[in-house]
Amino acid sequence: MQLPAVAEQAHIEDLRLGDVPMQQEVELVSIDLPVELAEPLLERGVLPGCRICPVQSSPGGDPVVSVDGSLLALRRETADCLCVRLVSPFQDVG
Amino acid sequence: MIALVGPPNSGKTTLFNRLTGLRQKVANYPGVTVEQHLGMVNLYDGRQASLVDLPGVHGFSARTLDERVTRDVLEGKIEGMRSPDALILIVDVTRLEAQLMLVEPVLEMDLPTLLVLNMVDELEARGGSIDQEVLAERLGVDVVRTSARTGIGVEEVRAYLHKVACGDTSVEHIERELSNLAGSRALPVIDAFAARRRLVRSVVQDAGFASPRPSRLTEKLDSVFLHKVWGPTIFLAVVLLVFQSIFTWAVPLMDGIDWIVGTSGEWIAAALPDTWYRSLIVDGVWAGVGSVIIFLPQILVLFLFLGILEDSGYMARAAVIADRTMYRLGLQGRAFLPLLSGYACSVPAILAARTIEDERDRLATIFVTPFMTCSARLPVYAILIAAFIPNEPVLGPIMNQQAATLLGLYGLGVVAAIGTAFLLKRTLLKASPTSFLMELPPYRIPAPRTLLLRLLDRSKIFLRRAGRIIFAVAIVLWVLTQFPRAQGGPPDIEQSALGTIGHVIEPVIEPLGFDWRIGIGIVTSLAAREVIVGTLGTIYGVEEADEESLALQEILRRDIEPGAAIGLLVFFAFALQCMSTVAVMRRETAGWKWPALQFFYMLLLGYLGAFISFRIF
Ligand SMILES: Nc1nc2c(ncn2[C@@H]2O[C@H](COP(=O)(O)OP(=O)(O)O)[C@@H](O)[C@H]2O)c(=O)[nH]1
Ligand SMILES: [Mg+2]
Repeated sequence: MQLPAVAEQAHIEDLRLGDVPMQQEVELVSIDLPVELAEPLLERGVLPGCRICPVQSSPGGDPVVSVDGSLLALRRETADCLCVRLVSPFQDVG
Repeated sequence: MIALVGPPNSGKTTLFNRLTGLRQKVANYPGVTVEQHLGMVNLYDGRQASLVDLPGVHGFSARTLDERVTRDVLEGKIEGMRSPDALILIVDVTRLEAQLMLVEPVLEMDLPTLLVLNMVDELEARGGSIDQEVLAERLGVDVVRTSARTGIGVEEVRAYLHKVACGDTSVEHIERELSNLAGSRALPVIDAFAARRRLVRSVVQDAGFASPRPSRLTEKLDSVFLHKVWGPTIFLAVVLLVFQSIFTWAVPLMDGIDWIVGTSGEWIAAALPDTWYRSLIVDGVWAGVGSVIIFLPQILVLFLFLGILEDSGYMARAAVIADRTMYRLGLQGRAFLPLLSGYACSVPAILAARTIEDERDRLATIFVTPFMTCSARLPVYAILIAAFIPNEPVLGPIMNQQAATLLGLYGLGVVAAIGTAFLLKRTLLKASPTSFLMELPPYRIPAPRTLLLRLLDRSKIFLRRAGRIIFAVAIVLWVLTQFPRAQGGPPDIEQSALGTIGHVIEPVIEPLGFDWRIGIGIVTSLAAREVIVGTLGTIYGVEEADEESLALQEILRRDIEPGAAIGLLVFFAFALQCMSTVAVMRRETAGWKWPALQFFYMLLLGYLGAFISFRIF
């Protein structure tokens, strides 16, 4: 399932959540996963347009991210399927 | 009936315990095991309301079994259980936005609903705030703020329950923005969620929700518990501590119970006339039940630890740490809790696997769970090890051969579980890569009340089981030793119905070095492992009723070769001798295929293991 929020962003879709450094807040652009795997993310508020910030890395190298004040642990394989773009912390996305 | 719904870790159980106290029980309904807590709440002027504590869910897509059960309860589809009259949706207000994703599907149930904003103590301590009036107005439901931990707002919840009991509530069919969503089901799933998200955001913004500062404590603790080096170190230390405590802290209590059972047994033996039923009562029922009750302290210590780990929030971190390794073995991090619980008892462990979203992962997990050394194996291990393994030191003073054997048996279970999971995931349960998603709740201090009530529950379930199964098996066995009558009295045990059964199965177990008595023990212990102790007690008790009564250990040493004894230990390590597990597997997998496969696979492994041990030792 490709879920682009805005079509023009196709060119920056090579930035994946897995590549984002710690404490760098990003905006989710699309989720490149089949529906069954995407749904648990959606239920927890991980939707295109939301802000995600990697805050920790587990001993196995998997990211822990903060979304809407909740902490979520993902596998890096999943994080590599989440296309994101950088946002400056002061810019409001609305 | 009123149902408590909410995401995991929002405080459902804590609130439930506040409201019901001791007036609760674990209920089981046919069809699915709804190991659900049902409780009575005292309202005003003598009224009562029944309340049910449901598993935590994030939605009702029925992807996990927990979600399916919750949905079935809410829709009144559970046989023998009334459909709820009202719902209490409880959320962790410190994470309001994410938690309110559940509000729309809950309101769609069209039942009177109370929205409980729990953990206000934490919200305020971390500088957040919310206007509950606006929230109530926008969502068209009653809203209260509570702290289930400290008791703030709990009376308001009770008042709401009273209102429901008096029939004073109705579903406000106000123009919710939700009504336009009702038709959105047909839209691609992403749009439905996005709409849900927009609604939540606008409601939360209107209600002036100020998010609390991130919890400093949680950040600090996570930087240690999820640290590259410290994380796994602490993880291993925690696992070791759990086992260490089972075998040390529980021991004085166990000795106490052992003493009570032994002394009271002697007392009963002395009080009873020397007649036909004395050995039934003393050797069969009393010793059998006693051999199980003695493990109550271990179970309690284990569940106390599991409770603390879970309620404090550490268990979620442990699952994250375990995930990489488990993934390689074909399982996933969420399997860690069920497998650890399996050391107490497979039945609750198999139920705990319901949180695993991927069906193949869940099946693989519950398939290997019974390999974990559950407490029912301990009476058997204890008696055989004491009878056959010398108490001499190995590795210097730290460990003796008996302890090393026990450790070896635990290890055997782990190896079998790993091998089996590996095999399953490459054959029957081969799957495309799955995902793993774990919410990490803030670290919290567990509420002692919740922990205690959980222990009370566990003791009740355990004792009931020990009582029923063992009592029944002891009676049946004893009756079988009394027939066919010879010269008006009970026959020689070899000629009795039981002896005949034993001799019929003897050829099957002969290659393992077991005689017909052990054979009967194995057959009866298919019902529950620990039953073998009482069974052998009954057989030898009847057989040697007039001899100087020897301790069971000494008789075993006389009658079984050491190699066969080790074989018996290995057999018990592998075989699935537990009808409760088979029954729960059937319900959790909706069919006989998996329990049958599991039963015969484990039996075969046990048989081969015992055969090889008998040849080697
Ligand atoms: N600070 C605070 N902690 C709470 C409150 N309610 C529950 N907790 C804690 O949150 C954790 C999870 O609670 P629990 O009732 O087990 O959640 P459940 O998974 O929804 O049943 C436990 O450690 C509780 O002690 C509250 O109002 N305030
Ligand atoms: Mg709970």
